Amino acid sequence: MKDPYETLGVERSASPDVIQKAYRRLAKKLHPDLNPGNKESEERFKEVSAAYDLLSDADKRARYDRGEIDASGAEKPRQHFYRDFASEAPAGHAYENYSGFADFADSDDILSELLRRRSNVHVRARGSDVRYELPIEFLDAVAGAVKRLTLPEGGTLDVTIPAGIQNGQVLRLRGKGRPGLGEGEPGDALVEISINPHSLFTREGNDIHMDLPITLSEAVLGGRVNVPTPTGSVTMTVPKGSNTGTVLRLRGKGVLRRDGGHGDELVKLKVMLPEQPDADLEAFVAGWQSGKAYDPRRDMQP
Amino acid sequence: MMINKREFLVRAQLEDKTLEAWIQEEWLIPADLAGEMTFSDADVARVQLIRDLKNDLGINDQGVGVILNLVDQVHGLRRVLTELLQSVHNRA
Repeated sequence: MKDPYETLGVERSASPDVIQKAYRRLAKKLHPDLNPGNKESEERFKEVSAAYDLLSDADKRARYDRGEIDASGAEKPRQHFYRDFASEAPAGHAYENYSGFADFADSDDILSELLRRRSNVHVRARGSDVRYELPIEFLDAVAGAVKRLTLPEGGTLDVTIPAGIQNGQVLRLRGKGRPGLGEGEPGDALVEISINPHSLFTREGNDIHMDLPITLSEAVLGGRVNVPTPTGSVTMTVPKGSNTGTVLRLRGKGVLRRDGGHGDELVKLKVMLPEQPDADLEAFVAGWQSGKAYDPRRDMQP
Repeated sequence: MMINKREFLVRAQLEDKTLEAWIQEEWLIPADLAGEMTFSDADVARVQLIRDLKNDLGINDQGVGVILNLVDQVHGLRRVLTELLQSVHNRA
C-alpha cells in the first residue's frame, strides 16, 4: 500500500482543508462513473479514496502518523459503480439518453436505424419530415389561397399558398411532420405544389399568356374588346390593322413577383372569320383586287 | 434483480423524503411494475454515485443534475458506438 500522503500528493503537515481539496481534485478526475471507459481509473480512485478515508479522519490519521496502523487497513470495500450497471443493463435503460447525437441521426441511415430500435425507450430524437403533394388551381397559385390538405392517416392540414407560387415549389410547414421521440421536436411537413392547367391562361415565369379571338372587322378597323385576366375582365384597345399572332401587353396583369411588382399578361390575337359563310364578305373579297396581289407565303420557299 | 421501494430504501440507505426529492429531480427514475415503484441494482449504484458527487466531490444539487445528464448521454453514446462497431465487424 502506498503512502496516503503521496497518493493524494500533499505534505505530511497538510491541513484537513488542503487534504480535502487535493482529494476532490483527484476524485473529480478519477471517479469511475465520470470515466465510464477507463478501466484504470477505478483502481486509482480506490487508492485515492482509501487514502482520503484515512487522512480525513483525525483519529486514524494520528494513529497512522504514529505508525500504529498501516494504510491497507483503511481500504473500504466497494463492489460496484454505477457504470457497471449502465453498460450491462439491457438496451434502452431508463437513464440512457441519446440527445447527445440525435441530430446525427437525421442524416445518417445507420444511426437512425439504431435509434429507431430504441424508439420505445428514452430517446429524444427529432421526428421525421413528411412529404405531401397538393394540386391547386391555376388562379389560386396566382392570387394565393389557403388550402386544406386531408392527411392519409386522418386529420387535416391548412396550407397557406402564397400568391405567385411556382409549379413544383415545396412549402415547409414547421413542426407538422411526424412527432419526435421522447422530448424530441416534431419533423416538418413538406408540401409539393402542383398547379393544374387553366383553360384560358398559361404561365411563363411571372407573365400570363392567352390567345384572344377577334373578328375580322376588329382586326381591320380596330376596336375595344373585353379581355379576361386572372383578376377579372379588362377593356383593351385592338389597334387598327392587327393580325393573327400580334401580341398585346397588359401591364401589371400578370403574377405577383418577389420584388412586390407584377408580371404582365400577354394577349396573342387570333383573327376569326364568321362561323357561317357570309355572302357579303364573299362578294367583297371576290372583287378585292389588291388582296389578290398579297402573298403571305412568299418567303416560304424551301 | 428488481426490488420494491422499502427494500430499496434499506439497501441504498436512503430516506423516504430524499428519494421523493430525487425522483422529482429525475435523478432517479423507478420502474413502474403494476402500479408499484420498482428499483434495480443500477438504481442502488446510482444512489451511490449521487452520494459521491454530493458528499465526496462537493458538488451542489445543480451540478449533480448536470453531471447525471451528461453521464447518461455518455452511456447512450457508448451503447450506440458499441452497436455500431458490432455492425461494422459483422459486415467486414
